[in-house]
Amino acid sequence: MKRHVIVNGRSGTIEIEGSRLRYAREDGVVIESEFSLEGTSVLLNGRSSRIAKGAGKEIWVNGLLLSMEVFDPRDLRPGQGATSSHGRQEVAASMPGKVIRVLVALGDAVEEGQGLVVVEAMKMQNEMKSPKAGRVAEVRARPDATVGAGEVLVVVE
Amino acid sequence: MGRYIGYPARVTLFRKVLIANRGEIAVRVVRALRELGIASVAAYSDADRGSLAVRLADEAAHVGPSPSAESYLRIDRMIDAAKRHGAEAIHPGYGFLSENADFAEACTAAGIVFIGPPADAIRKLGSKTAARQLAIAAGAPVVPGTERALSGWEEARAAAHSLGYPVLLKASAGGGGKGMRRVNGDSELQSTFRDAASEAGRAFGNSEVYIEKLVEEPRHIEIQILGDRHGHLIHLGERECSIQRRHQKVIEECPSPLMSTHPDLRQRMGEAALKVARAAGYANAGTVEFLVDRDANFYFLEVNTRLQVEHPVTELVTGLDLVEWQLKIAAGERLTLQQDDVTWRGSAIECRIYAEDPDRDFMPAPGSIVHLSEPAGPGVRLDSGIFEGWNVPLEYDPLLAKLAAWGPTRESAIRRLDRALSEYVLTGVRQNIAFFREVLADAEFRNGRLSTSFLDRFFQRRKKTEAGPEMEAAAALVLALESQGSGSPLLTNVSRWLESGREDLLR
Repeated sequence: MKRHVIVNGRSGTIEIEGSRLRYAREDGVVIESEFSLEGTSVLLNGRSSRIAKGAGKEIWVNGLLLSMEVFDPRDLRPGQGATSSHGRQEVAASMPGKVIRVLVALGDAVEEGQGLVVVEAMKMQNEMKSPKAGRVAEVRARPDATVGAGEVLVVVE
Repeated sequence: MGRYIGYPARVTLFRKVLIANRGEIAVRVVRALRELGIASVAAYSDADRGSLAVRLADEAAHVGPSPSAESYLRIDRMIDAAKRHGAEAIHPGYGFLSENADFAEACTAAGIVFIGPPADAIRKLGSKTAARQLAIAAGAPVVPGTERALSGWEEARAAAHSLGYPVLLKASAGGGGKGMRRVNGDSELQSTFRDAASEAGRAFGNSEVYIEKLVEEPRHIEIQILGDRHGHLIHLGERECSIQRRHQKVIEECPSPLMSTHPDLRQRMGEAALKVARAAGYANAGTVEFLVDRDANFYFLEVNTRLQVEHPVTELVTGLDLVEWQLKIAAGERLTLQQDDVTWRGSAIECRIYAEDPDRDFMPAPGSIVHLSEPAGPGVRLDSGIFEGWNVPLEYDPLLAKLAAWGPTRESAIRRLDRALSEYVLTGVRQNIAFFREVLADAEFRNGRLSTSFLDRFFQRRKKTEAGPEMEAAAALVLALESQGSGSPLLTNVSRWLESGREDLLR
């Protein structure tokens, strides 16, 4: 199994095979280890951590709160936020990630399928495209900002 | 044979006591009552129906809706609840009605014992300015300053010269820092005086300003006092409470680190505290607060006429049970301890566990406790009012628990407290547990260089503790397996996980 991870705004991957895991962060840090999981206890290379779920998606490790999202790379489909082709349309991030570039400005005329915002997750850059021809009514995405899945980036009308 | 297993026969102080409070302090009082064989009645509002205090108490009395003005602050409902349940006395805890002289009087008028000082003493010490006058008359040091409004900046200059800069201009009608200005020298005085007077005028409709010597980077050190209703008063030493955020204490300790360099300070402050207490006709437990400057000069601040939140550190170091003494004294018993009987052994430090976010200016963060695993082990004391699944109400102070550690030295108490904090798992709400570990690791804290501006400075040098990659990997593992669906370790609900495991076995 392979999953993408975003922790405190930084990307990584986790691969799990039997009782082995490989966690690789975009900054090059890699943890490869045998693991054992029992209730709230995780052993990695024999080192013990306590995991507890908090409110909503919060996860705490050894008393520290991590902002973490784990998702399946197969779920990365661009343009998921668009639902119909007329009226006011919100273009939302399809997965959590980081805004790399904002390609349009407020008031710009855009074509259907034109790129609006580039979002990166797991070193994969994903262009959020306009669902229709129209005008940019709102730009909510800011370069370098961390965004969650479903977060509105641009509104086109 | 006897009904009280392991409990020696003695004259019962009271048969039943109502607790007019909530949260961890209500639990603390329930515990003291049970140890003494006294039945407890927990007063509760709508929001506290399911509270730990209600669960632990022998009886519980509904006193109104969630807002405290309609429940915990209602004198009539508390008296009524006590009568309904046949309680002979009321323990007010801290906050709410604990320093309300009218409540103390209403209890007496209803034939119920108020577990606290006489109403008259509460009244005398209730106003800061009246308490200051009383302290001056009793011969306790106060922050030097003019006792009355200044006629103009020329008079302010003369006063500033006799006090010595820096000074503080304060609004006579003041409060909340309005009309309060620091002045460093003559050149600033005229314009600052004008600003302070005009701000005071706008805020309070009274532009009168007076002047005080500014105590720079003061320590907050307080003296615990205890007196019976027969005129015998002693002090139980100090607590240092300099670590504060928004003028509220978060870490308290006994002894103050200052005592190691100023061995006579405890006795001198204790005597000053007793002078004020005697002048007010004080009885029961109380706390006299002082500011202490860099040269270890101390100045009377105010008296808290109740049990203090941070009383456990005094209990840990003196070995005395303050709530038990409160009950005995209220029942008219004599305080059998003499001043020389009080000894201080080792060091105790407490931190207040709040539902708040230290990364967002300590903003309160109410919510549900999802996971709770409490610390224990040698030298650890936890006074808590929560449990897994408890919903921290929006309506009240977000104090969840107080974690204290005792050790033979300050250094060992710090290490123990840090160890206990490391065991403490509390999720569902934001809390300050990890933040306390950062403070305890700070060199300035370890060296005992404390002042009320400690936390402001600390934030300038703070390096927030982050989880390492191994911890990230552990969390990612759990979430990845969970995302897979089957066989996922659902940590929010272990029983659900066990259930799914059983189902797997049956397949």
